[in-house]
Amino acid sequence: MGVVVKKVELSWLDRTYVWPVMKGMGITFNHFIKQLFTRTSKRYTIQYPDMKKEMPAGYRGLHELKRFEDGAIKCVACFMCAEACPARCISIEAEEFSDLNITQGFEEKRPQVFKIDMLRCIYCGMCEEACPKDAIWLRNDYEVAAYDRLSMQYGKWDLMNTYAEADGKERITQDPMPSAPRRAIAM
Amino acid sequence: MDTLASLLHMSPAVAWMVVKIVIVFSAVMILASVWTWVERRGSAMIQDRIGPNRAAIFGRIRIIGLQQLLADGIKFFFKEDLAPTDANKALFWLAPFLAFVPALMGFAVIPFGRSFTSGGHVYHLSVLDPGNGMGMLYPLAIGGLAVYGVLVAAWSSNNKWAILGGMRSSAAMVSYEIGMSLSVVALFMTTGGYDPSEIIAAQGHLPWHWNVVPHFLGFIVFFTCMFAETNRLPFDFAEGESEIVAGFNTEYGSMKFSLLALAEYAHLMTASALIATLYFGGWQVPFVANPTVALSITSFVLKLVFFAWVFVWIRWTLPRFRYDQLMHLGWKVMLPLSMVNLVFHAWRMSQGH
Repeated sequence: MGVVVKKVELSWLDRTYVWPVMKGMGITFNHFIKQLFTRTSKRYTIQYPDMKKEMPAGYRGLHELKRFEDGAIKCVACFMCAEACPARCISIEAEEFSDLNITQGFEEKRPQVFKIDMLRCIYCGMCEEACPKDAIWLRNDYEVAAYDRLSMQYGKWDLMNTYAEADGKERITQDPMPSAPRRAIAM
Repeated sequence: MDTLASLLHMSPAVAWMVVKIVIVFSAVMILASVWTWVERRGSAMIQDRIGPNRAAIFGRIRIIGLQQLLADGIKFFFKEDLAPTDANKALFWLAPFLAFVPALMGFAVIPFGRSFTSGGHVYHLSVLDPGNGMGMLYPLAIGGLAVYGVLVAAWSSNNKWAILGGMRSSAAMVSYEIGMSLSVVALFMTTGGYDPSEIIAAQGHLPWHWNVVPHFLGFIVFFTCMFAETNRLPFDFAEGESEIVAGFNTEYGSMKFSLLALAEYAHLMTASALIATLYFGGWQVPFVANPTVALSITSFVLKLVFFAWVFVWIRWTLPRFRYDQLMHLGWKVMLPLSMVNLVFHAWRMSQGH
């Protein structure tokens, strides 16, 4: 069964070809004038180094390791993200911490080394999905580039500080010494 | 002018000629090179883009991207200038000049301002004075020569894409030349002369007396044929990325390529000058009977720039033709239309109008 292609009957005016050309020129001229009198900030093109695109909520960009208010890392080194990662780019080494906590009857785990190989990462967000503590977020920074391969290996402190300036938080380079247990344990 | 001439040990006539040549040709060349920028920026605006705006002097001073011209020029200048091994070297080198020189030369007879008298001399603002016996035949003949630039460039490259492009564009140019010439012949008939200054004088200063009104059909034909003559987009059969790589300039690089590209724009300037002269009253200022010299030059330049812009505008509005459609339009539409125009004006003149 064939498809009947309906031929468009051109009117007399359209068949002169002059009038449709004028109409087309009108359209392009409208675009020209509109674009000419649009401010640079309102145009479709984003002039990249000068202007940056505002990424939508939920954009999966550079990772951040979240921290508590006292600066302690939220990650408990459960390895769920490393397991979930399809690109196998996360490597974690865990450690126990806080002598204080031991005296209070429990101890916690945290990563001593938390490394993401940004060259392998595919920004799929599976680590964020897998994390039981909401400790790793993929956020809106998309400018992940460096001059050599080694700079693309993001360590624990790099990852904890990726959004420090954007959020107005201070950069931290060591784990805080907890003076008191972070939460009361319901006995 | 006389003191300048005596300082340079030249006769005033020669000095005036040199001044005219320098001004006219440098103006056309500057306009042509600026038009490469206008083309890119204008097309960007038409397509809601931005276009080249980032070239800057010392990385700081940007004048809406005009330095792009300079950057392009420097870049082309320092590119390696090579000719293919099997190319016909002499013709390969000659072709850009064959394309560029006729494009500039067509401007020689076009008056770009009102003639004026100073110190007993009559100064004509066109490189060749009116009454030289060539008149409008000269730019038409020179325009016909332009096909050699394209064809020689294509032939000497020894490249099948180039020769295809060259053949196509020369066929298009030759077939559109007839329609164009016939529409201009009708204009010669009604004017009673073929000197551009006579044609301009006959049109007067009222816009509805300009040739575009009585010769509207001829204007449409002439304008369309100018696109084929200049190898501009609806009819740019010398090139075509999807069909024949870059066409006639496939093998060209460096300054030779830039000269070929500039030749197209110089040709565009000459074509818009011809349109302004033949159909839009040349240097005549609308509603001003006796304009001053400066005003008449301004009027001519404005008309020229407007038509050069229309060339760009149409390029980014219309899609390309297919080759058979081009031939169909040239031989079966434009030629009969220009003949109808010719016969109509002959009949009108026989009725005593």
